[in-house]
Amino acid sequence: MNVKNCVLGFVFSVIAATSLAASGLTGQPAPDFALKSSGGENLRLSEYRGDVVMINFWATWCGPCRQEMPLLDELYSRYERVGFNLLGVNIDDDSRKAMDMVAELGVNFPVLFDARKEVSKLYAVDAMPVTVLVDREGTVRHVHQGYKPGYEDMYLDQIRSLLRE
Amino acid sequence: MARRILIGLGISLMLALGATSTAQERSASDSAMAASLAAQAQQSESHQRFRSIDQDVQDLKKEVLDLNRDLFLLEEELLFPANSQVAFFISMDVGEYFDLDSVNLKVDGKEVANYLYTEREVGALVRGGVQRLHIANLKTGDHELTAIFIGKGPNTRDYRRGATMSFNKGIGAKYLELEITDRVKKQQPEFVIKEWE
Repeated sequence: MNVKNCVLGFVFSVIAATSLAASGLTGQPAPDFALKSSGGENLRLSEYRGDVVMINFWATWCGPCRQEMPLLDELYSRYERVGFNLLGVNIDDDSRKAMDMVAELGVNFPVLFDARKEVSKLYAVDAMPVTVLVDREGTVRHVHQGYKPGYEDMYLDQIRSLLRE
Repeated sequence: MARRILIGLGISLMLALGATSTAQERSASDSAMAASLAAQAQQSESHQRFRSIDQDVQDLKKEVLDLNRDLFLLEEELLFPANSQVAFFISMDVGEYFDLDSVNLKVDGKEVANYLYTEREVGALVRGGVQRLHIANLKTGDHELTAIFIGKGPNTRDYRRGATMSFNKGIGAKYLELEITDRVKKQQPEFVIKEWE
């Protein structure tokens, strides 16, 4: 019984530690970064101060990312004009694969390439996808790990509430 | 006669009644005025209180900012003592032949900074801004600095150019500036590393 409890406790603590890695950023200032974008220009997070920013970490080998990205793109096209920005941070080693997938999915939000994985480390990304919502003040407000159908409704609520602040 | 007396009594009674009601009205209006004055006084007091709270908040904010500045300077002094401090700056003059994308900085062969520039940042450099790219602690003695500038050169061709400089770190802080200038004769950019005296 004790051994079972210990094992269960250990498993829970591992799960909790994993899920806390990135969400530990909630309430903290969003770490700044600059990355090369699919458009060729360099984009820096701090230059979006004053806007609500969603940072979506994704990879070409991640199935849920493929499902999620078109839905995020819809949110982006809907709220872009009222101060919402979406930065898709791709963590593949080869950015060409990412460009192919972006073209295939037909998404319009800026995609940034983090081939050196520096930004993923900054945000303690240990699941795929990871979606971070940053408010107008530059503070991390929500961190979501993974994607399940229905998450987009939660994103919608959170974006709308952050835009209203 | 008796009728006259009665009429006189009636008139005097009416006058007395009228006087009473006027006195009552006056006292009512006085009390209303007093109440309004009290309300005004209360309002101005609450305004003053708000103003003083606002002032306190502003003072507190200023104190926090001052404290933050002191802590920042203290932290910098502790982390980068003046004797071992080396700071690297970057500046750009005109920038017609070079569109800066990134700078990679190596000290003694070890990468210490890799900075990507956004359009806005390049604009700030072109307008005369000087950016502190990196700050480090180095031992006294000889060191080598290598800066690799990446961007678009003339005719928007990909351009990658390095500049190397050996410098001696003595006692006291050292400041080095990486300068990007245009060489009009050659229609090429030029990259120079200078020491601040």
